[in-house]
Formats: sequence, C-alpha cells, structure tokens
Amino acid sequence: MKFPSYLYYIFMTILETLLRFFPIPAKTGYQKIGNPDENSPVLLTCNFHLTILRLKKATQGLNYHLLIANSDGINVWCASTGGHLNNHSVISVIKTSGIEKKVNHKKIILPQLAAPGIEAKVIHKKTGWKVLWGPVDAKDIPLFFKMHFEKTDQMRKVKFRVLQRIEIAVMWFFLAALILMPIWGPLYGIEAVFMLAQIFLIYFLVMISFPIYEKIFQKEASKKKSFFSLGNMVVFFINIIYAAIGVVLYAIVYKHNYSGILIRWSIVSFVLVLMIGMDLKGSTPIYKSDTHQDRLYDVGINLERCKGTRICIDVCPRNCFEMIEDQNKVSNPRKVNCVQCGACIVQCPFDALYFINKAGDIIQPETIRKFKLNMMGKRQ
Amino acid sequence: MSFVLMKVLESAPHRYDKGMKILTLGKIGKEYDALTEDIKENDTVLDIGCGTGLLTIRAALKGALVTAIDINPEMLEIANKRIQELEKDTSVSFLEMGVAELDAFEESSFDIIMSGLCFSELSTDEITYALVQISRILRENGLFLLADEIKSKSFLKRRVNWFIRIPLVIISYIVTQTTSKTLKNIEEQVTAAGMTIKFRKTNFLENFVRLKIINGVKK
Repeated sequence: MKFPSYLYYIFMTILETLLRFFPIPAKTGYQKIGNPDENSPVLLTCNFHLTILRLKKATQGLNYHLLIANSDGINVWCASTGGHLNNHSVISVIKTSGIEKKVNHKKIILPQLAAPGIEAKVIHKKTGWKVLWGPVDAKDIPLFFKMHFEKTDQMRKVKFRVLQRIEIAVMWFFLAALILMPIWGPLYGIEAVFMLAQIFLIYFLVMISFPIYEKIFQKEASKKKSFFSLGNMVVFFINIIYAAIGVVLYAIVYKHNYSGILIRWSIVSFVLVLMIGMDLKGSTPIYKSDTHQDRLYDVGINLERCKGTRICIDVCPRNCFEMIEDQNKVSNPRKVNCVQCGACIVQCPFDALYFINKAGDIIQPETIRKFKLNMMGKRQ
Repeated sequence: MSFVLMKVLESAPHRYDKGMKILTLGKIGKEYDALTEDIKENDTVLDIGCGTGLLTIRAALKGALVTAIDINPEMLEIANKRIQELEKDTSVSFLEMGVAELDAFEESSFDIIMSGLCFSELSTDEITYALVQISRILRENGLFLLADEIKSKSFLKRRVNWFIRIPLVIISYIVTQTTSKTLKNIEEQVTAAGMTIKFRKTNFLENFVRLKIINGVKK
C-alpha cells in the first residue's frame, strides 16, 4: 500500500471505529481487485465501508473480481443475522453487475459469516452460481487462495482478539459519550471529561482482560443471571479502587471541598455497571446475549434426516459440530459454544437441524430462513 | 449478539407506514391515489416493491388483477393480511422477489406496472436492469407508474429540503426505525431504456415526483 492510501486507511479506520455502531454504506456493484482475468475467483462482501477497506488491505497482491452486495451499510455478520444481507442482495448483485460476462465460471466465494442470511441452495437455483464459503477473517484469504480454496479449521472460527476487543470498547464508549456529554457537560464542566475518561478506562480494562471474565462466565453459565453477579461485583471493586485513588489525588492536589466527588463517582459506577453488567456477553462475538432467557435456544439434530454432508461443520463459526465417522452423521458435542447464529440450520439441505429451548419449543428451519434471528422469540 | 444491536437491527415493517407518513409529511396517500387513477377493471398490474401494500390495495379495489412483489417477507405478510381483510385475495398474488428476478415474467404480460418509494432503494445497476426488464414485460403502449422521492435540480430548493428533511429523518428513525433515500436522474434513465415520459408532476419543493411513463412500440 502506498503512503497516501495508507494514511487514508488509518484515518478511515479511526473514524469508522468511533462510529462503528452506525451503518456506513459504500457503493454496491462490481470492483476489480488487481488484474483478474476470466478464470479469476469471484468474491462477494457486504457494503459496510470499513469491511471493504479492510478486505482490500488484507488481499493486496491478489487478483480477483469483487462483488459488493447491498447490506444497508452493515457488516456481514450483523447484516446476515438481521436479514439485511440476504438472498435477494446476492441474486441482485450477480445478475445486475455484469459479472457473468467477465468470467467463464459460475463459482462465487461468500464470507462464511454470511451463512445465517444467505441460502446457498436458493442462490444456485435462481442464478446457477455455486456458493463456496470463504474464511471468517479477511486476512486468511491469501492462504485460502494458496490452498486452492480449502479452509483449515482455524479459518472457520470466530475469534475475539485484543484489537477487536479494543474496537468494541471504543464503539460502546463513543456511543455513551455522545449521549452523556450533552447532559454532563453543562452540569459538571471540565470534570465531565474526567468522568468519561474514568468510564472509558475501566470499560477498556474489562475488555482487555476479557479472558479472565470468560472464566467467571463459564462458572455463572449454569446459574440464573442476576444484577449482582460476580462480573458486576468485580467491576464495582475496580471502580472503588480507582475512585479512591481519585479522591486522594483530588484532596492533595486541589486541597478544596471534595464532597461532590462522591456523587459523581456513584454516577460513574452506575453507568459502568449498566454498560458492562447489562450485556457484556452480547457485545462479544463468542457468547450469546442472555438478557432474554426466553430467547435462548440450542441446536437440535434430527439424525434420521442427517446425510453427513458436513455443511454445518463448514459454516459453524464456533466449532460446535463433529462427525460420527462410522455412522456418517453429525453430532454437536460442543453446543455450549453456540452463539445461536443459525447458519447451520439455514444451510442444511435436508432440514436436519432446528432450534429447541429448555421448555421443548421448536423453531423449524423454514421459520429461521424466512424471518432470521431477529424474529426469534416473537414467532411460534 | 448484543441485545441493543439486535433491537436496532430488527427491521420494523409494522412501523413502516407510519415512518413514510412522517417523512412525506402525510402527502403519501394522496400521491398514491393520483398515481393509480388510470387503473381499470381487469387490468393486469405488477406492483414492484409493494411493501405494506399501499398501491396494491388501491389497484385491487379498482378490480385489477395484481401481482405484487417485494424482497421483505414480513412486509408481504402485512400486505397479504390487509388484502385478505378486504376480501380481495383472489385477485392479488404476492411473490417474494427482487427486481433482479423480473426476467422470470413473460414478455408483454402486464398492462400496467407501478412502483412507489422502491426505486430510490435500488442501486444504479439495479435500476438499469429493472427498466430494461420493465420495458420487456410491459405490453405495447402499457403504462409504467412511478412515485418516489427525488433530489431537486435547484440549489436553493435542495438546501431547503435538506433542512426540512434532517429533523424528519431523525424523528421517523427514532419513532419507527425506518428511513428512505432519494432518487437521482430517473428521467434520463427511463428515456435511455426506450420508454417515454407522458406526464411528470413534482410538488413545489421538488422533493417528490409522480411519473406516468408509456412503453414504446415493440420491435
């Protein structure tokens, strides 16, 4: 990447990370990457501006045709589970972008995380194009090309790396600051900045140290969720220490009345507990939100229908499934990892998978394909 | 996934009509009445992007045979329910499909094709494709009726619209989580597809257009 474009990349990454919560649409349609010919692979992605930027950076030096499908400016995973990146977006971009005249094959590589929203079977039936599920991370694409479009197990997994955790922290914090600053600014003046800084620092620390929290989550998984959970208590504790240091510093440096600090510290603590306690799990890509107990489902398998196609293994971003080789059937021994994205259920060509909750309510594949994850709990 | 994000992502078709009413300041109903005035009994009509069925219902009540398409299954469900309540379900068929699938219809199979607030949601590629298909599936001298939000050609009016639109977009988004876009240069594209604009009407601020387009003689 040349110097000016590198600067542009850094600038846009910072800006769009701050505004990560909001959709940022890019132009849809065809783009040429490198110098592709009629045999080059065809890749498809969403029209979230940051995604396209990162994809291009990760695939420098490769030659391929890129189709940008309409996802209302939302990233691949959120858009596909929310119904914004769907069969119609893909059919439309294949048929209207003129790609059929540019290549002599009919194979399209879709991001694996688009599997909850796009049905490979329907795309093939309506356009004649064969869908191949690419890696989760764009940075694995060069290796994926080298391996002749075969994926390793690692390429299928969704991860929650330090950089991604920082990104989430920045996103939520910036949103909180946007809402709180107009209220706190006039009330507390310059101190509002310090209050926000305190919130950001602690939320940042929590996100950085997320692997520690994971252990708490795993212990809490069996119990019913409560506001006074261990996770919240830890946050409270960190905040008390932090505030105590603040109070002491205040007393020494400013040597004036610090009675108001206590009130402000309580407000800060309350906001923090709200931000973290409400839905920390749901802010990660590796846990399902547990704010609604009635929306928690497991994936069930109808073994009579299972034909051992391994498609569920290919699209699962959490490595839940495993083959029972001697029976040519699939099992899900690691269903605690499931994030309920529904990709496996949507893709299974024999309707062998379904959602089932603790009460025994079943959601059929047909319903999930039609209404996606966002209608769960409302339908049935 | 985060509960907050999920709430934002949940598409809100049941709030769509209200959102469009706010965005167009309530004039959407009258515009649609005027748009459908040429539809007669037993006309075969295609509604592209029927949404919650505002145009479909108007055509069905006039006794037309309507095919209504939309890409959103929830929207179609609402439209279908409304048609059933009016007991017009024998003359209307709903299909979940987008403009890229218009090639599934046979040549000259419709007397009238109509579309309200749909083309502004499409990309330039999609509009080009759709117009070619519309010209093909519409019968000779058939009508293509289009109503949509546009950008004014006058600089001053664009600024005025901008000031009116920003608060409306915010209000309608908060209340209904829906929003709309504006259409650019549709007249040129229609002409390029070989169809003729017979009638064009915009409001004073030039932010909404109603077009009656006539399909040319087929070769």
